Amino acid sequence: MPPDSVAALLQRHRVNENLNAAVIPAAARNTLDLAADAVVGPLDERIIEATGAALDAGHTHYEPVPGIDGLRATLAQHLNEATGAQYEAANLLVTAGMQESRFLTLQLIDAGDGAIALPEVVHPGARKALGARPRETVSLVVDAERRLPRLAAIRAALEGGSRLLYIESPSRLSGATLDGDEMAAIAALLADHDAGAIIDRGLAPWASGSVAAPTARVALIGEAFPGAGIDSWLAGYIAVPQDWLPPIQSQKQIMAICTATPAQFGALEAGSLYAEEQPARLAHMQALRAGLQQRARAAGLDVLAGGAAGLLALRLSPSQKSEGLARLAAAGYQVADGSDFGAPDVLRLTVCDAARAALDLLADA
Amino acid sequence: MPERERKKSGTNLLYSMMAEAASYDDAVILGRGDPDFDTPEHIIAAAKEAMVQHHSDTAPPEGLPALREAIAARVERVSGVAYDPATEVVVTNGGQEALFLMVLTLIGPGDEMVVPEPNYNTYLDSTRFAGGRQIEVDTFPHQNFRADPADVRRAVNERTKALLLVSPNNPAASVISPQDMRDLAQIACDHDLFIISDEIYDLFVYDDVVHTSAAAMPGARERTLTLNALSKAYSMTGWRVGWVTGPAPLMERLRELKAAITGATSIISQYAGIAALTGPQEPVQMFADTYVRRRRVVLDALDEMGIEYGVPEGGQFIFADIGFTGLDSMQFAQRVLSEQHVLVYPGSAFSEARKQYIRMTFLQPEGTLREGMERMKFAMEGIRADIGNGSAR
Ligand SMILES: Cc1ncc(COP(=O)(O)O)c(C=O)c1O
Repeated sequence: MPPDSVAALLQRHRVNENLNAAVIPAAARNTLDLAADAVVGPLDERIIEATGAALDAGHTHYEPVPGIDGLRATLAQHLNEATGAQYEAANLLVTAGMQESRFLTLQLIDAGDGAIALPEVVHPGARKALGARPRETVSLVVDAERRLPRLAAIRAALEGGSRLLYIESPSRLSGATLDGDEMAAIAALLADHDAGAIIDRGLAPWASGSVAAPTARVALIGEAFPGAGIDSWLAGYIAVPQDWLPPIQSQKQIMAICTATPAQFGALEAGSLYAEEQPARLAHMQALRAGLQQRARAAGLDVLAGGAAGLLALRLSPSQKSEGLARLAAAGYQVADGSDFGAPDVLRLTVCDAARAALDLLADA
Repeated sequence: MPERERKKSGTNLLYSMMAEAASYDDAVILGRGDPDFDTPEHIIAAAKEAMVQHHSDTAPPEGLPALREAIAARVERVSGVAYDPATEVVVTNGGQEALFLMVLTLIGPGDEMVVPEPNYNTYLDSTRFAGGRQIEVDTFPHQNFRADPADVRRAVNERTKALLLVSPNNPAASVISPQDMRDLAQIACDHDLFIISDEIYDLFVYDDVVHTSAAAMPGARERTLTLNALSKAYSMTGWRVGWVTGPAPLMERLRELKAAITGATSIISQYAGIAALTGPQEPVQMFADTYVRRRRVVLDALDEMGIEYGVPEGGQFIFADIGFTGLDSMQFAQRVLSEQHVLVYPGSAFSEARKQYIRMTFLQPEGTLREGMERMKFAMEGIRADIGNGSAR
């Protein structure tokens, strides 16, 4: 018989729906694992060498809470080039990956007295992060094609008292991005309502062209250099106005002290190679995705409007979806179920060669 | 929009002192609990190997099965408590995340945790995050900061949900004796409390003192979450590998929280962790033997200076009483830092009630420690002279 205190405690956690949200793997490793939003690419030897050299040189001790200076600066530069922002190293905090970025921003950025506005379709990690210490949320309606929040919904939430939005661009489910005009409109709404936003742009390096993102009143979050092969090493970032950083940094100290040094030195080297290497990776993935999209459409499957090259999202009828999932499971494939994101009519596949066979199974469903 | 009211925490204070110390070329750093030894070479070699062979492996939030197995074996060997690696072990980003997860799992808004004081300050920060409160039980240097079970029992009330036991302790360096541990576990059973047991310094005990695991006490296993980490034992503070062990129903919730706050732990660090736990253990013994000698250097110097302390029975710290100087700990620490470039931590960073204490580590080579102690003696002479003419402040 467990003690009564255990039963009472379990009851407290059980009713917390957000905490019980699904866990989606961050990066696909083997050919049957199609649940991640991108595959892990090959690892450049220079990253191994640089990381090993840092460890040999004694970087096995605690490092500064917000991250090693060089990595903060590299991340700032990368974001400036990608978004036209003017970040300095002091705006950046290195995290132990995307989920820590979600947790620290969703839990620590002041939302005033209002609820946090969360798209009805969002990566389950965002809900989970909010479940760790329950915070009130309101739901933002999304459009049918891209599954991105509607401007009218954002306006209504702000008018209803929300002071903090959470947005993914690209969407973690469809890969679609908000365009420059939409982002400008959101920035104006934030200013009008003295509100802030957390923008997950972790998939932006998988989208062509620049993915717009305002930076005033905004926390940008994402993985550090996705595609460089270090996804499982787990390094991420938070970029914020400097006066937003202290509570986030305090909490990082409380729950982590710092980010693992191999991950940080690996990301540092990955960052220095990124401008050279990511364009070719992106082009390769885009070609792969275009082929998959064509194959899917030719087979009569309904592909959601996307943009991020690492994933492909399909809209399915309830019977198509359940039969498709059964076939995939029987063949050993795992894909991401849109239900976990708040979109029960969607399945998401990782873009890779093995996705062809998975698409064929779905087409037959 | 940062959280509007957040006072400068003890931790932030320590960071500004560390920055000042770093600005001196000849600083003697007795502040942070970061062993001066680098990580043993075979562990670094395993990390490099993992970068080649396993760079893209993914792990579930609770960690690689092989690492959890190694952890379960280690816990059983050292603590005598068996855990199922599949359901009762969660790998974390260092002991710090383990600590945060344990508190978040067990403490909710309005809940109270009984905490012997002084203690590792992150427990207070984490308890506040969870909306809970600490009920402090005083401990004293002349009793080597022993947490008296009778005092603990008196502190329990109907809102109390958990007991915090950090043994060996940071900063007090006390070790809970087997009999006291039994009595403390009995209190938890009598009042249906959880136990949070922090055993991160379990391999470092001195003078025939023995380490006792809370979960090994009768009735305790099913209500105890225990943390440990590779940071201190293997000089792996930068790698961020720790763990929590506990009964499956609690660990299931802790695993969900791990997934909610960070997800998995860095894969390279996890492979390094497997190498640490399953590889040669001689480095750990070497560290422990070295700390025995170093601790002696500092204690002898404190005796010469006439500074009272709780005899450190375990861990990597000495908590010393500088109240007789008339300076509070911040003034004292600031003075030895700016005059002598020796960094010690003010007790006020651990709790307001410990303003007359300083915390020192002995995680430096003996020569460096001797040098630091000489400089501290010099500073003490100045302070004593000031006391003599009534101007110590
Ligand atoms: C008592 C105690 N618990 C937990 C920790 C966290 O250790 P780490 O996160 O470095 O493993 C520390 C660090 O100093 C400590 O002293």
